[in-house]
Amino acid sequence: MGEGTTNLPPGFHFFPSDQELVVHFLHRKAARLPCQPDIIPTIDLHYCDPWDLNGKALQGGKYWYFFTHRAQNKETANGYWKPIDIEESITSGDIDVGLKRTLIFYVGEAPEGMKTNWVMHEYHLLDGVLSSAGSSGSSRRSLKKRSNTRMESNKWIICRVYESSCASQNFHDDGMELSCLDEVFLSFDDLDEVSLPN
Amino acid sequence: MSISVNGQSCVPPGFRFHPTEEELLNYYLRKKVASEKIDLDVIRDVDLNKLEPWDIQEKCRIGSTPQNDWYFFSHKDKKYPTGTRTNRATAAGFWKATGRDKVIYTSFKRIGMRKTLVFYKGRAPHGQKSDWIMHEYRLDDHSDSNPQSHASGSIGEATTQEDGWVVCRVFKKKNHHKAMDSPNNCSSITSDAKTQMIHSGSDDALDQILQYMGRSCKQESEAISNHNMSSNPSNLGIRYLRPIETTLGASLHERFMKLPALESPTIPSLHNDYHPPPSDHPCGNQMGYALESIHAVVNMDSAYHNEAGINDWAALDRLVASHLNGQSEASKQLACFDDPSFNYCSTAKLPNNSQDYNHGGGSGGGGDEDLWSFTRSASSDHISHVSL
Repeated sequence: MGEGTTNLPPGFHFFPSDQELVVHFLHRKAARLPCQPDIIPTIDLHYCDPWDLNGKALQGGKYWYFFTHRAQNKETANGYWKPIDIEESITSGDIDVGLKRTLIFYVGEAPEGMKTNWVMHEYHLLDGVLSSAGSSGSSRRSLKKRSNTRMESNKWIICRVYESSCASQNFHDDGMELSCLDEVFLSFDDLDEVSLPN
Repeated sequence: MSISVNGQSCVPPGFRFHPTEEELLNYYLRKKVASEKIDLDVIRDVDLNKLEPWDIQEKCRIGSTPQNDWYFFSHKDKKYPTGTRTNRATAAGFWKATGRDKVIYTSFKRIGMRKTLVFYKGRAPHGQKSDWIMHEYRLDDHSDSNPQSHASGSIGEATTQEDGWVVCRVFKKKNHHKAMDSPNNCSSITSDAKTQMIHSGSDDALDQILQYMGRSCKQESEAISNHNMSSNPSNLGIRYLRPIETTLGASLHERFMKLPALESPTIPSLHNDYHPPPSDHPCGNQMGYALESIHAVVNMDSAYHNEAGINDWAALDRLVASHLNGQSEASKQLACFDDPSFNYCSTAKLPNNSQDYNHGGGSGGGGDEDLWSFTRSASSDHISHVSL
């Protein structure tokens, strides 16, 4: 599934921030609010190895996006996702609204699988986000549904999956960051000014 | 700037104007140069000389979504009527080019060039470097010619088109303890930082670094040779700078390509085997200094510096050391490089350098090779002079 569903001129790509993923897409999904554009599909992670996401998940650059159900067991047909010990809060304004976890895909059976370059960012809504007012523009409407959706707020997660190879020429790598090479050049510029010892 | 697409008042959530280099060149800049209408007026014309980088984000904002990068068209004007250099000074500072221009390809076809510039506050040469970076893209006049003859990119500005429209991307350099909220942040995962280093080394990055180093070293040695060299016998050693610096740059690129895969268990950890030459030797100084600066970059570059990363640079150390040691005529003159600790790379294993040369020269005859063969011949003269 590509980005072709929207009619934007060249140069516009699906490149959501963490906050947008949580506040706009995940929150609306969990609150059963209409999502415009409704472009992120739902996938059962158990049946999907990361290399099978192409065509099933929404692709933006080298990233794939999809909703899935929260599950303790993250095994797929050929491997499993293992979290690394980094968690990050996602804030909207000054309010914590979500949690971001990072997982690495291992091929084989836990715990003896072989590590791959596939990385997943997994976003959870924090408890109570759906019921708290003022976290986003849609919160006023979500208030009405508070009683129904509260229990479900943690049921959905939204995922961003990519293969971490910076060599691949994708638009998200395209000159957006200074390459390591550029950094080297920059530091040599400094050396010029210092002048090498004789 | 308001954005309206098919009646919609704004770009849908999650979408950003983040064009690929190909989109910038082949769609936006091509239309600009041809004065064709661009569907959506997202890239504005800017007079670079009248715009400070910190004002760009206001001027080049697209919609209301937060942006990390800004785009504009700029018409390049010559600095002097007779010259080819571009004036990129503003009221508060100036944009200074860094590194070498990068060739932009689309499916193996060369479409343009990218120049990287850094903003310095103040006036040259006393400017203060800022974190503002600009990538300046220009279309390629030679896009139909044989890409090999241009493969190395332009060496001097004089050879390139310095007049006309360019499209620019401006962004603020992130420091390397980056926030992890951005999906394009490759360093958010430990292994990413490592792969980035490795991969940047694989696409002739090292070649570029070495050329750059060679250039600065050459300037240095030229500066030295301006001193009265022959009058002082202790200066003799300085003459070796040239052969080493050139031979190092000339074939290191090729040898680096032959290295086994990084992280491969067959790589011995050679880092400890490398004993730098005595520091009072001028060559040792020069190389040590260069290596130190590379290490400094690496350490600075990756807060997640890990074993594999070290191995990467250990490999570079090893190569440099092996070249210092094994480099036929030149190094045999240097007593300090007869150190037995260099025995891991014996002279016998080294490929014949002149063969390397023929190989390199025959493959394209591009600018790089020409340059290198020039310096190479210059250095051979030097060698023979010294060994007499």
